[in-house]
Amino acid sequence: MTDASMTRAERRRARRIRRFDNPWLNPKLFWGIGLLLGIVVLGILGRVFWDPELVFVGSGIPKLPPPGFENLRGQAGTFTNPLGTEGSGRDMLALIIIGAPNSLFVGLLASLIGMSIGIFLGFTSGFVGGRTDDVIRVLSDVMITIPPLLILVVFQSAFGDVSLTMMALLIAGFVWQSPTRLIRAQVLSMKQSGYVQMARLSGASTWHIMFKEMLPNLVPYLFGSFIANVTTSIVTAVGLEVLGLGPQRIPTLGRTIYEAINAGALIQNLWWWWGIPTLLLAVMFIGLLLINLGLDEVSNPRLRKLKL
Amino acid sequence: MSALTITDLSIDFPTTKGVVHAVSDLSLSVGRGRRVGFIGESGSGKTTTALAVMQMLAEPGRVAKGSIVLGDTDMLALNEEEMRKARLRRVSYIPQGAMNSLNPIMRIEDQLWDGITAHEGTTDRAELKRRSDEALESVGLPARVGRLYPHELSGGMKQRVCIALGVILTPDLIIADEPTSALDVVTQRHVMQTLKDVQAKIGAGLILIGHDMGLMAQSVDELAVLKDGVLVEHGETRQIIENPQHPYTRELISSVPLVGGESFLDDEIGAPPVNRGKPGVPLLEFKGVSKTYGNVTALQPMSFKLDGEVPKIISIVGQSGSGKSTMGSLMLGFNPPSTGQVLFEGQEIASMNAAKSLEFRKQVQAVFQDPYACFNPFYRVNHALRFPFKQFGYAKSEAHIQEKMEEACTAVGLDPALVLGRYPHQLSGGQRQRLIVARALMLSPKLLIADEPVSMVDASLRATILKNIYDLKDRYGISILYITHDLATAYHVSDYVIVLYQGHVAEAGPPEEVIGNPKHEYTQLLIDSIPWPDLDRSWGTPSTATEDAERLDRLARENKTEFRGRVPGFDLDVA
Repeated sequence: MTDASMTRAERRRARRIRRFDNPWLNPKLFWGIGLLLGIVVLGILGRVFWDPELVFVGSGIPKLPPPGFENLRGQAGTFTNPLGTEGSGRDMLALIIIGAPNSLFVGLLASLIGMSIGIFLGFTSGFVGGRTDDVIRVLSDVMITIPPLLILVVFQSAFGDVSLTMMALLIAGFVWQSPTRLIRAQVLSMKQSGYVQMARLSGASTWHIMFKEMLPNLVPYLFGSFIANVTTSIVTAVGLEVLGLGPQRIPTLGRTIYEAINAGALIQNLWWWWGIPTLLLAVMFIGLLLINLGLDEVSNPRLRKLKL
Repeated sequence: MSALTITDLSIDFPTTKGVVHAVSDLSLSVGRGRRVGFIGESGSGKTTTALAVMQMLAEPGRVAKGSIVLGDTDMLALNEEEMRKARLRRVSYIPQGAMNSLNPIMRIEDQLWDGITAHEGTTDRAELKRRSDEALESVGLPARVGRLYPHELSGGMKQRVCIALGVILTPDLIIADEPTSALDVVTQRHVMQTLKDVQAKIGAGLILIGHDMGLMAQSVDELAVLKDGVLVEHGETRQIIENPQHPYTRELISSVPLVGGESFLDDEIGAPPVNRGKPGVPLLEFKGVSKTYGNVTALQPMSFKLDGEVPKIISIVGQSGSGKSTMGSLMLGFNPPSTGQVLFEGQEIASMNAAKSLEFRKQVQAVFQDPYACFNPFYRVNHALRFPFKQFGYAKSEAHIQEKMEEACTAVGLDPALVLGRYPHQLSGGQRQRLIVARALMLSPKLLIADEPVSMVDASLRATILKNIYDLKDRYGISILYITHDLATAYHVSDYVIVLYQGHVAEAGPPEEVIGNPKHEYTQLLIDSIPWPDLDRSWGTPSTATEDAERLDRLARENKTEFRGRVPGFDLDVA
């Protein structure tokens, strides 16, 4: 138990373990955040070092492959378009630089709005109880059963062209239910806990109890729920875009895939057209998944493994 | 021949803070038909040793060296399948929380049958039924209990079902891990008598794990005292209790408060109590207060007046479900009464406005049962002390708060440098509970509700914490309502005792009368049920269990109250 009773090897091992003692410093979280930051950095540096004007139709030769490959017409790729061009001559690299952060933005914004609604409704429901609780609970339970894509397809076809923010708002209407339920459940159990009773004894206001005593303990859950929501929102957004809905004039990864499918990129073997956006989406989801797993370790100490 | 032989057993837990030696060099044997008690504080390695016998150590624990031999089988050499077969059949385990050990969606008899079929293959249904009925009867439960679900049984019945499950395959060794820690004294006595009885019948060895010296003295033949994973003393119970060799054993024995025994409080009288009451107005008053939850009556109508002029400790004693915690939450204003009024200094708590309510909070504080839950894990422990101090407007400056916190810590015997600035999980239960007492001291309320303040703290620390609370009365003039199930401590600390049974006052008066010489049958039953660390005192026989149940039933209908005299400044009335 004391340092003196340990052998050198044991001490060294303990030191190595201690380095991972802070749950926030786990490799999964690092890698996940790294991947997502990579996409953001791509968007920023890309605008500086590459010409974003190249996203417009006809800025290059259509259907040009990346350098080192040939398309069906026998044209070889050049370094003018390092990732090739798509069907109407737009540069793939520029499309990604503009498109990938856009998809991430929609996901983050929708999730942020959804979480805010969720926190508000969850706390209200858990704290106020009674009739209010019934209404909020039934509402979120009903909403959770409705497939968002179905409703959104109808909405978006009615709206026609929408902005990214508008799309995020629409999606946010379908991602508030699970945080609401999660927070309500946590608030209900925390309300009975000793430290909340102690705070009441200390003459704390409801406001203080909610935000100073309860909320900090919810942080890991909130983060986890937030990331899960970002994933859902991106999936929904991309799903709509691939169906040809969503923003018509702003380049997004989903829309690029939609156009590739529409132009028959699959049978023409224009793999870079649909492949590169798909790869980026995959990177994004893997990043989000890793963050979620990492956060799981933070909120659930049992998952922390000792690497001996 | 011995049922279990443990030789030089060491168990290690590699953790982030280095390797913890949970058990070191433990050697011990349990004879057939013998009862051996493992006693020690939490973390002393008693449960770990028992779990190692069944190869059920929690990850990442491992047996570093030594051997465990059950009969003639080397338990550590068994592979998983052989171990599975040995569990329950050769060695069975009765867990601490029987409430959570039964499957809530299976009938009791199905769970008993599961145990049999898992070891003997499919058995004839009539035969299964016969054996489960027999097992249930052996623990004093009627056979019809088999058809019930766990939620339909009381805590004591569930614990007895667990015992039935443990003995159904007549194992060589039974390990009972604090089987009664969640039960009140009356039920505890029934369960322990059942366990002893059935163990003697099948002739198995029994390892009883616990921390209560009184319970051990009444239940086991041999005692093994563990401290920090080391076996410090082992021998016949009588020899250990009457002539303990190790200082730690002596400490354990003396930590059991006895009714009428020597007080654990110093008689040294501190500064004379400060007069803090408002003359003419009672500090706390119950006017015909009752509380019902749905159609369950938690508290029957009662009235009392507590005068604040001379601080007093009023104890409220009873089993679980007697309504004592309901009284506490009524006094704290967490719950409105169903009928009647709760008044604090003449003001009704339920109808106070915000300013009055803050003043009320300033004057009425509490110490709760669970010191683990009372601190917000997000903050350092200072938060629990600093926040109310600021909130109530006592704080002049940060330095003033710091000074007051250090003063309060010192007053309850904590080193401020060691505890302040730590996170709650870095402190032990005893330290946390003392911090909560320090918090009460800092706020210096007129009334303190102490709801089972020591029931979750290790026995050796109980006396110290109670002494801290007692000091609040003497030195700081705080009136205290002490809610407890422990009659012995109530006897020592209180000025007046109220015994509650099913929400009704059974007996009330000064402790020397009520506990020292009880007149009401219920109080007598409670006192008889306390296990004493005195081998010559009888703790009843298995047949007392049924008698007790009948008595309790009758008493519940009678609703009789024995008034055993008054103390000045406290008037109690039942109506």
